[in-house]
Amino acid sequence: MGEIGTTWTARGAWSGIVAPGVFSASGAGVNVQLREGLGIASLIASREQEPMLGRALESRLGLSLPTGPSAVSSASHTLVWAGAGQWLLVAASRAGVAEDCAGLAGLAAVALQSDGRAVLTLSGTMARKTLAKGCMVDLHPRAFPVGMTALTSIAYIGVQLWRSEDGPDGAVYQIMVPRSMAGSFWSWLCASGMEFGLVVATGQD
Amino acid sequence: MRIACPHCGPRDVQEFSYLGDAKPQRPDGMDATEAAMADYVHQRDNPAGSHRELWYHGAGCHAWLVVTRDTRTHAIAAVETMAQARAGAPA
Repeated sequence: MGEIGTTWTARGAWSGIVAPGVFSASGAGVNVQLREGLGIASLIASREQEPMLGRALESRLGLSLPTGPSAVSSASHTLVWAGAGQWLLVAASRAGVAEDCAGLAGLAAVALQSDGRAVLTLSGTMARKTLAKGCMVDLHPRAFPVGMTALTSIAYIGVQLWRSEDGPDGAVYQIMVPRSMAGSFWSWLCASGMEFGLVVATGQD
Repeated sequence: MRIACPHCGPRDVQEFSYLGDAKPQRPDGMDATEAAMADYVHQRDNPAGSHRELWYHGAGCHAWLVVTRDTRTHAIAAVETMAQARAGAPA
């Protein structure tokens, strides 16, 4: 019997799919930041559990549970509405998220998603124009204010999208896709943003 | 056609899957007669007009919705969540 190889190494969701660089003939209208090392967990609570979960998160993280399609953030954590009774907890540090969730036993069905999702930040003057090529949700600043989130599909890929802040070049969007769809999503994003000039960087803010 | 999801707001119909009439209630398993079960499985009204039907927001919030739609014009009169539909008068 041969030995089964045990040379597993952890790698980021975008590795082997896209590397930092410039994808454009000219211009730099869209900035893409590949987010690595985030801690992600999905929380699902029953109607009875929801108030208790809200209180637990409020005291642990100082964030109140959104009851509609919005995302709330502190310096280290973001809580994103992900359907009725469902949320995503996104932590800046992957290491701490299991600990964040330890106190939620019995208050929600908790599943770590740090390896299951791929996240990128989209900004730049042409970010909204790029998204408009595939996103059916109205992202006009009046219709989609800072802190709003949408679960929708882009190029038949389920995405969780939220407008996290406004930067110097307008709205900054966070986009989360299932990790297995990261390659397909990049293929759409690259094709859609190329004409405006895509600048891809990696790492934290 | 657009459906105004009570959770997500108005979305294109391609985000949803259609299940069918929201009216049939499954007869109680072992006590149900064969005829009642056959009705439940196979018999559907096919109205030209207002129809209460189930849609699933699969590409969005994953909620089951009860949509009241005019089958002639596709005009949607109401969209309820399952919780709202159960709380209201039975279909």
